[in-house]
Amino acid sequence: MLRTVINKLVGSVAAIFGASIISFVFLRVLPGNPARLIVGPLAPASSLLSVEKQMGLDQPVIVQYGRYMTSFLRGDWGFSYGAGVPVTTEMASRLPASLELGFYAFLLAFVAAVICALLATYRYRPVTDGVVRGTAFFGLSVPPFWFGLLALLLFFATWGILPGPEGRLSTSTTPPPSITHFYTIDALLHGQLSTFVDAVRHLILPAITLGLAPFSYLVRLLRANLLDVSREPFIIVVRSKGIGRFLAFARHALPNAFLPTLTAAGLVLAQLLSGSVLVEKVFNWPGVGALVTDSILRQDNAIVQTFILLSATAYVVVNLVVDILYGVIDPRVRIS
Amino acid sequence: MNTPVEQPTSDDAVLRVQHMRTEFVGDQGVVAAVRDVGMTVNRAEKVGIVGESGSGKSALALSILGLIEPPGRIVSGSVWLNGRDIPFRDDREMRRIRGKEISLIFQDPMSSLDPVKNIGDQIIEGIVWHQQGVSRRQARKQAVELLQDVEIPNAERRLHDYPHQYSGGMRQRIMIAIALANEPSVIIADEPTTALDVLTQAQVLDVLQRLVTERQVAVILITHNLGIVAEFCDKVQVMYAGRFVEQSMVDEIFYRPTHPYTEALLESVPRPDRLERGILPSIPGSPPNLARLPAGCSFEPRCSVGHGKQICKEQVPVSLTVGSPMRPVVAECHFARERFEHSAQHVEGAPV
Repeated sequence: MLRTVINKLVGSVAAIFGASIISFVFLRVLPGNPARLIVGPLAPASSLLSVEKQMGLDQPVIVQYGRYMTSFLRGDWGFSYGAGVPVTTEMASRLPASLELGFYAFLLAFVAAVICALLATYRYRPVTDGVVRGTAFFGLSVPPFWFGLLALLLFFATWGILPGPEGRLSTSTTPPPSITHFYTIDALLHGQLSTFVDAVRHLILPAITLGLAPFSYLVRLLRANLLDVSREPFIIVVRSKGIGRFLAFARHALPNAFLPTLTAAGLVLAQLLSGSVLVEKVFNWPGVGALVTDSILRQDNAIVQTFILLSATAYVVVNLVVDILYGVIDPRVRIS
Repeated sequence: MNTPVEQPTSDDAVLRVQHMRTEFVGDQGVVAAVRDVGMTVNRAEKVGIVGESGSGKSALALSILGLIEPPGRIVSGSVWLNGRDIPFRDDREMRRIRGKEISLIFQDPMSSLDPVKNIGDQIIEGIVWHQQGVSRRQARKQAVELLQDVEIPNAERRLHDYPHQYSGGMRQRIMIAIALANEPSVIIADEPTTALDVLTQAQVLDVLQRLVTERQVAVILITHNLGIVAEFCDKVQVMYAGRFVEQSMVDEIFYRPTHPYTEALLESVPRPDRLERGILPSIPGSPPNLARLPAGCSFEPRCSVGHGKQICKEQVPVSLTVGSPMRPVVAECHFARERFEHSAQHVEGAPV
């Protein structure tokens, strides 16, 4: 078991390095000169050269990469010319916003998917099943930014029950003192109930919009798996022992149906944690998704590079956790 | 209605099923898989139910346990078990009876055990459920004894193993251990040997036989293997299109089958003494579409005796009881009486 974990760990680190090399090379090979963007179109060649030299752009790519990675590992992630602050500062303010939104979107999508899949399969209920499948179909086909705009139009503009696209908190609310950087948790930790409620109210629409597609994906998978498993002979055998339908489902059908869903859930989580450009734009959410699109346009390579590395790490870590979880849950994996 | 075979020992009955009718709603409309069927099983009796795939054997087994899931439903019927009618259509009530008074051994040992739970937990589950006040520790001890009963070596240690670590034959014996856990009076074994090789089949049947002699358990053996029926059972019920078309003692059926379907089934068993005859006889046609049964006898289109006859085409045959009162044969055939009287000449040789 430990051996497998170590093997996977080594593989994970290698994968992150691979991602760093590929992204670094691609960003440098792209046409356009970041130094030119900094000094401006009218600056003389001498100042362009000095900025290039200062940024290390005159060095071969391999040297640039070596320098970048050593300072990255030391915690110096470079300087964002677009924002005029170090990348670490920029990320520290943006990343928690994306993480918090992604986390709640995942929680919502996952819990809702489990509940809906159970409702659709626990008993033979053709109507409920039809509604669940219809919702999933809708959720997979609808573009998130359109859904987000529609939600804003209804819940904010028309009915006024939920706040508009103003970010993580109302303008009148001050952010809670930072501990976890999740406003909801920090607010609770400091007992600021009104701040908590405000943060939650701001999260509802973006989290639903962001979670809709993952929910649809997961509910389809889970529903199909649950149907398959509930038709397995061992469920009838469990029932023939006298075990009721609910326990047979909870103890035997659900764990078996979860296994194939775990990988999918992991990928969905990693994707949600790395932020979403369109949803963040629609809701004015101060996350990394919006920051990265702007940085790509500005050739603010330090930001883009950091983002790629961080999201690669997120994917790899989540996958690693999923692999280890498989070993814990599925005895067949544990042995082999 | 199928009248249960009246045995001289019928005070000894543990299970009596009457007027069981089970339907499934499918694309072709309502399909009756079990059509108004009855049977009686006595203490320590071994009853074989034989028939082709789709004849309603498994549906009957699940109906008796009240485990028919929608879109299937039990339309009518009563089940009398251990001296009383049981509410087999009330799931809540049945939870106290299933696995305690009557239990099930299922056909495919590969898929009949939960792959992610260890064997111990799967045996203990039923014990803890039915025996109130039994601690998990005591249940574990019982589980070890059960595994030893079905001849699993190193039972204590193997309790923690998972299904994939056992062979097919062992899994089938574990299934028997699970079915035995609360000492039921009836075990329904649905094709318990189908997925096993001949040697393992014999082992599993040995274990079942021991239960019958040592614990007086009644076994209903559902199979399409006539050899196993001949070897194991006391009584046979032949099922065709959701009905019992023939019921009698096992030697009776093999020496002189009364229903043409039974005869055809026996004819289609490969036998070494018939090899020189060339092609193995088979029953022409396929089982009837249960959604559109023939107006008369459901076997008429495939029957060597009644095919094309007016009476078989138009009238549903009633159950006729023929033979001596001690060894009755019940058959649903218009020609049952004639055939019974002449059947000795029709079938040559010894039982299969």
